[in-house]
Amino acid sequence: MAPGVERSFTAASTIEEALAARRQGAAVLAGGTWMMRDPRRGGELPEAVVALHRIPALSKVEIEPDHVVIGAAVTHAVLGRALHAAVGFEGLVGAAENAANPGIRRVATVGGNLCVLDFAAADLAPALLVCEATVELETFEGAKLLGISDFLKDRHTLLAEAIVTRIHLGRDLVASAHIRLPLRKAGDYPVAIVSIGVDKDKRCRIAVGSVEPVARRWTALEQAMRASPASALDPERAAELALEHNDFQGRDGKEAEGWYRRQVLPSLVKRGIAALLKTGGLAWL
Amino acid sequence: MVVTFQLNGEDCSFHGDPMTPLVDILRRERFLTGTKAVCREGFCGACTVHVDDEAVPSCLKPIGLVQGCAVTTIEGLSSGNQALHPLQASFEAIDAVQCGMCFPGMVMSLSAFMRDNPHASRPEIKAAMVGNICRCTGYERIVDAVADCLDQARKAGRLAGGIDV
Repeated sequence: MAPGVERSFTAASTIEEALAARRQGAAVLAGGTWMMRDPRRGGELPEAVVALHRIPALSKVEIEPDHVVIGAAVTHAVLGRALHAAVGFEGLVGAAENAANPGIRRVATVGGNLCVLDFAAADLAPALLVCEATVELETFEGAKLLGISDFLKDRHTLLAEAIVTRIHLGRDLVASAHIRLPLRKAGDYPVAIVSIGVDKDKRCRIAVGSVEPVARRWTALEQAMRASPASALDPERAAELALEHNDFQGRDGKEAEGWYRRQVLPSLVKRGIAALLKTGGLAWL
Repeated sequence: MVVTFQLNGEDCSFHGDPMTPLVDILRRERFLTGTKAVCREGFCGACTVHVDDEAVPSCLKPIGLVQGCAVTTIEGLSSGNQALHPLQASFEAIDAVQCGMCFPGMVMSLSAFMRDNPHASRPEIKAAMVGNICRCTGYERIVDAVADCLDQARKAGRLAGGIDV
């Protein structure tokens, strides 16, 4: 920032106010855990920011019998506590309760985790892909709903003119699990993440994070497991199918090289299926 | 920008860049140097303080987000002229403190954890301190101190509303 220039800081109390600041070029500040490290990465803090933490509607988790709505400013810690007893959301709870460390989880938000463009290791992204979440955006033209896969693919363009306000989840999963592989127990970004869920129609959904630059569903493996449903929930067989249908291009990074991220996936799938089998929800099938 | 907040129970105001990390204001302007700025990335936990009773890394907290909040630092747990916080006393009794760099952050993280989890097990204590790194690797004695403190609180019947921080 140029010397003598005063930084603009808006603590918006409504979504409209936040959007107006965004329209003026302000960067969205959520918990701050990514943006505050910009100087450490050689970048500069934005000249204008708009904070969302004072907008009440964005800090709520609404749990209904058939759906859940998560405000974008909900922290990982609050999300984990809110959904702790909700059947089918074990994977999302695992993502919220194991990302980073306890101090960060009390600050880092759901919206921040999904909106940081260059953060490949976001835990909530694969977990929400498995939930088939819908992302609600407030754009300059009005509200917009988008499937999370499309949001993650297009967010670079979308976020230029929009703010993520809420995440909508159906409640059609009967069980889910979230398996992450950090190099150490605490603090490290995971080398690879596998989120797995089973819906009421006994279909497996699998998503992978941290291996490629953007998290995505593992559709090749989902289809292979659907083709042999008898072995779908056998950890060993699932790992074999994961090896056979591994279509990921691993990204090289500080924590690990791309080939390693790709190579660990079958083992994580095996752990994921084993974790699924330990949940109570599968007894309903 | 002017930011007003409570710091260790007293009114406080800051005039300047709202994106200044809270840790820098505590150390450079308020001379509360018990809060350590070590990694500045939220990984080490040495800068942990309480903001509205939650233990958070002050290196990643822009002061603009602290407007209207209550901040407690390690200095706010005990003035030095009064009894130590039970966890500080337990750290001292068990001789858990080595170089002292991680200690304020450990106390701030774990005192809030004890308040909210008065029946915590050793694995739960360990899980609560994964974001506080001790380069002296004195972890087991720190876990001992927390377990001992919780045990004493239980015996003293101070658990009905959690442990005071």
